[in-house]
Amino acid sequence: MAGAHHSKPRDWALALPLAAFFALFFVAPLGLLVAISFETERQMTGTLGLAQYAAFLTDGLNLAVLRDTLLVGAKATLLCLLFGYPLAWLSTRVAARWQAVLIFLVVLPIVTSVVVRTFAWIVILGRHGIVNEAILALGLSAQPLKLLFSETGVVIVLAQVQMPLMVLPLITTLQRIDPNLESASQALGAGAWRTFFKVTLPLSLPGIIAGTILTYTASVTAFVTQSLIGGSRLLYMPMMIFQQAMDLQNWPFAAAVSVIFMISVLLIVAMLVALSRSRAARLYG
Amino acid sequence: MTFEMSRRGFLASAAAAAAGLALSPRGAFAADELVAATFGGTWANVQKQILPPYFVKRTGASVVQSPMLATEQIAKLTAAKGNQPPFDVAMLDEGPALEAIDAGLIAKYDPAKSPNFAALNPKFQGTFGPAITMQAIGIAYNPKTVKTPPTSWEDLWKPEYKGRVGITSLASTLGLAFLLDINRLAGGTEANMEPGFKKLKTLLPNLAAVSANFGAHGALFQQGEIDIGVQNFNFAEELKAKGVPIEFVRVDTGTPAWKTTMHIVAGALKPELAYAYVDSQISPEVQSEMQKSPWNVIPTSSKVPYAGLVAEKIAKTPTDLDKMVFFDWAKVNQNRAAWTQQFNRDIRA
Repeated sequence: MAGAHHSKPRDWALALPLAAFFALFFVAPLGLLVAISFETERQMTGTLGLAQYAAFLTDGLNLAVLRDTLLVGAKATLLCLLFGYPLAWLSTRVAARWQAVLIFLVVLPIVTSVVVRTFAWIVILGRHGIVNEAILALGLSAQPLKLLFSETGVVIVLAQVQMPLMVLPLITTLQRIDPNLESASQALGAGAWRTFFKVTLPLSLPGIIAGTILTYTASVTAFVTQSLIGGSRLLYMPMMIFQQAMDLQNWPFAAAVSVIFMISVLLIVAMLVALSRSRAARLYG
Repeated sequence: MTFEMSRRGFLASAAAAAAGLALSPRGAFAADELVAATFGGTWANVQKQILPPYFVKRTGASVVQSPMLATEQIAKLTAAKGNQPPFDVAMLDEGPALEAIDAGLIAKYDPAKSPNFAALNPKFQGTFGPAITMQAIGIAYNPKTVKTPPTSWEDLWKPEYKGRVGITSLASTLGLAFLLDINRLAGGTEANMEPGFKKLKTLLPNLAAVSANFGAHGALFQQGEIDIGVQNFNFAEELKAKGVPIEFVRVDTGTPAWKTTMHIVAGALKPELAYAYVDSQISPEVQSEMQKSPWNVIPTSSKVPYAGLVAEKIAKTPTDLDKMVFFDWAKVNQNRAAWTQQFNRDIRA
């Protein structure tokens, strides 16, 4: 073990246990995954090559599934932002007691199991579910709407399930904004809307980016929600990886699909980080 | 014991603890504990309730049952190959069983260690393990919303069932057997699945859902999400016993069925217990208990006469079983990857 040689412990040594843990349980398995993805044979005979990657990239269906997955994540994230931002903003404007209630409500989904939550949504969105019964009773539609096993349903449920990941970073950022800045803007003649768009929104951008990254990565990889709410007729990458790894025992291909999926998501996250850096530079630079 | 440990001492003990964790055999806390795989759904319930008491009485050991799909069991055994297997008893359907044999994941079954093996019908005495039941599929429907009881797969294509039919993906043997059977009726074989896929495409307008697995599939009948669809005999009868409005009927073109088998995992940690467990499952006592409602597990021991719903809906005599529709699972395994991709492509909404 490192660290036993110094007489005086250095600060960075404090990070060693975590680094060791990380190397052992995250970096090593990831390395193994990448290594397996270069196996050309399903039986993993040790012949290496790019056959699995070629197999994935030359089939239009696979690329369509990748596109759908990245898009469904984007839609869910947007919906999350649309509903989450006002909620976060509101919770920084109310009395402390109400703020606690709001934050509790936001965090509530995290403390229930994802499987239970997803089944609850099946009951809500189903053909005889609460939503459809209400719509039929109000005469808004003669036929029950197809909410379950549709992309609309998947997006709605993902947005609700990942809401805390969006709202919590936003609350943190909004709370840090100096209220004097908004007062100053108002004093200089800007209306409430203009103040919001010129002062509050730009200053809360770091929170938006952080929330977006968390929500997006959680949404594109939400295997349980995607498969239970979407059903097998909507195929997304996590289900595809599961099919190949568990159902067809084709680990090299599953590994290659995983690597391609991971790189795609990381690229999108990198773009968001770059965006936040450039904005931050312009704001505070 | 003082809490002022030297750093070196702490690191040494932490390393020792970590090494101990890594090296400790599973179930280090239980001297006599067998780990056995079981299926989800009806199986998890029936095997939890009926098998362990009998097994415990016989061996004095305890058993931990872990519900997993057959394909999942193979994935886990493959991952552990060369090390200790995560469980000692596997429970598989015919296709996955052949895969496990090919991959050397399960051991040859020694009849000498299994007194109840000899009483099985000969076709259930597998070299690598006994068949513990037959699983059969047919049509399940909601009698409240479907007034004319269906008689054949063709009924699923009726225009009045638009958006009300449910099937499962090929990940479960249920969905695979359904596709194989409509393919057979359309003139295809295990080597040529084209007619089946063509036929499946024409079912799309009627499909309300394609479940990712049979667990989700059962829930859809319960919630009125689907009114009619393919279903496993045991699962349908169990739902009905729970009060779900559901009726199971055989299709008139022959009932597709397959064997469900139990195996001793290669390199099992507790082979004697594993044999005792499998032998308990094929004992006349356990099988006749499992044949009762709400389970209706089809027995494979010649000492257990067919009774109850099994006799009423599936088979009255062993020769009735021979009239069921069987598939060539070795051929199925060769093509399953290609079919899965084709299925994904064809049913995409």
